[in-house]
Amino acid sequence: MSSEPHLSHTRPDGTPHDPRVPLLLDAHEVTVRFGGLVAVDAVSAQFRAGELVGIIGPNGAGKTTFFNAISGVQLPTSGRLVAGGRNLTGRKPHRFAAHGVARTFQTPRTFAEMRVRDNIEFGLKFAGRRPRKYVFWGDEESVPWALRTPQSILKLIGLDTLADLPAAAITPSQQRLLEIGMALATRPKLLLLDEVAAGLTEGEIEDMARLIRRMRDELDLTVIWIEHAVTVLLRHVERVIVLHQGRKIADGPPAEVVRDREVIEAYLGDEMEPGQEDGPAAVLLPGDRPGPAGPGRARSAP
Amino acid sequence: MNDRQILTRDLLVLFGLTGWALSLPYYGSEFAVSMALTCLMYIALATSWSLFCGTTRYLSLATAAFFGIGAYTSALTLDTQGWALAIAYGAGIATAVAVVMGALVLHLRGTYFAVLTFGMTELIRHAITTWEKQVTGTVGRVLAVVPERDTVYLTVLLLAVLAVATSIVVRRTRFGLAMRGIGSDEQRAQTLGVDTRLVKIAGFALTAAFAGAMGAAMSVRWTYIDPTTVFNPFIGFQTVLIALIGGAATLWGPLIAAIVFSLLAETLRLQLPQLYMMTLGLLLILSVLYLPGGLASLRWDTFKGWWNDTRAWWKEKRYEWSGDKARDERREKERRVVL
Repeated sequence: MSSEPHLSHTRPDGTPHDPRVPLLLDAHEVTVRFGGLVAVDAVSAQFRAGELVGIIGPNGAGKTTFFNAISGVQLPTSGRLVAGGRNLTGRKPHRFAAHGVARTFQTPRTFAEMRVRDNIEFGLKFAGRRPRKYVFWGDEESVPWALRTPQSILKLIGLDTLADLPAAAITPSQQRLLEIGMALATRPKLLLLDEVAAGLTEGEIEDMARLIRRMRDELDLTVIWIEHAVTVLLRHVERVIVLHQGRKIADGPPAEVVRDREVIEAYLGDEMEPGQEDGPAAVLLPGDRPGPAGPGRARSAP
Repeated sequence: MNDRQILTRDLLVLFGLTGWALSLPYYGSEFAVSMALTCLMYIALATSWSLFCGTTRYLSLATAAFFGIGAYTSALTLDTQGWALAIAYGAGIATAVAVVMGALVLHLRGTYFAVLTFGMTELIRHAITTWEKQVTGTVGRVLAVVPERDTVYLTVLLLAVLAVATSIVVRRTRFGLAMRGIGSDEQRAQTLGVDTRLVKIAGFALTAAFAGAMGAAMSVRWTYIDPTTVFNPFIGFQTVLIALIGGAATLWGPLIAAIVFSLLAETLRLQLPQLYMMTLGLLLILSVLYLPGGLASLRWDTFKGWWNDTRAWWKEKRYEWSGDKARDERREKERRVVL
């Protein structure tokens, strides 16, 4: 890591858990209802500058719906969203993007017929655009060098050799990287990553995790990361939020969350072998799809 | 070719075509000029239609509404306001209607959008018919003061050139990029900071402005207009057909198709009037099946591809019909039994 250049040079390593660090996004009692189904049930969460937060939960727990709500894609039924001190409740996604909230989608949604470079440039020309006066007065200085041009962003995500291909022509794992690049091009403060490691090989997942940490450390970004592969996620994040049936059931450092009674019952239960219930090593077992028999088996263990 | 060279090429081609069209009234017959007028009308309509609908993939059938509004505005204002102002009013009122219509229906996609724009066209047509019956007492109006033929031709030419030039320029701006983004993945464009609602309404209004101006300019050709003539849904359908067959996502496709179509339509109408619509339908089916990118996507490789496909198909058929295929299959079966 030390051989690679620092990406911004604007900030020495911060202290992520300092309560004096400003609040970037405050989601208050966010509820999303589809007809009779409550997908997200009064979830409150605060995200401070420089945090790397993971969100986990079983299938259908409302992770992606929560993401959609805090990026403006899904209008919440009730609740309040404040980003950077500005109330954005009920606003359209482009307002969120303009206030520094960028996101990726679970299935890569790149502009298929545009070239890879144009995909990156798109964000730079809209949410990431600096009005001419700022460039003129030298405010461009405050943008980390890695986010200044399409070329530098492509280099950061490692796709600089594919810049002239159409986005439809690159592999799915490269498309995931391109998605991240497109989000970075909006020059965000908060980056929402929705299952960016799904379908990648072991090695690729490690690379992805390293890229995410590097973006957080060197680009001053706050990162919220949804992942189905809990083991990888718990290894890298400092705080984890657990959703279950639309409710938030835990929020804290990974080591504490995996000992939480409710979390084990609801989600991690079936991954625990009897007698191994103490210690986070228990969740480092492979497999993260709790079947219907999961909690029952955990309860029947002697 | 890089971007700059493409821009130069496009502008040069446009310049050349304009020069040619300008010289036409000096040597062409009355018939040629009248056909060129139809040509230019569809060039302007299809190019401006595909500028918005082709790039954003919002299939609008409301062209006839804007065309008719332009024509009616022109008919009402021509004798008091003069030619240029009548066209400006036509474009202006069509734009205003498009902004209202866009604000109402542009959040819908696909079939719903297409059907609603068509429904609104019919609504406007019937509203104007009713208004004429109730308020003015007569349906239709006569254009008494009509400008000279050359004035009309030059105006229509100017509008067509303006439409193509706008298309060339807009495709290179942020506005054009935003529309391409909407066509590719609207929600993604939105999360990257595009105010999609604003962009869509602006694009729709731009299309309407050209259709309105064109309606205002072409109304004088009829000397008598009524709602059934100028709000004829066929104008809208034909615009869409031309743009789709030419290649709605391209710059030159609608222009090429508009020329081909006007010539073809005129010839067919004279030679085989019953087959005219059938030929149009057949062409649309063929282009959707074999040339989804439109006429503008035709390359030498396309012909080679068709040729190779046909040859491969013929070879396969010969293999089958000669009995060789059956024999080979029998032998293969026997060989498997032995093993």
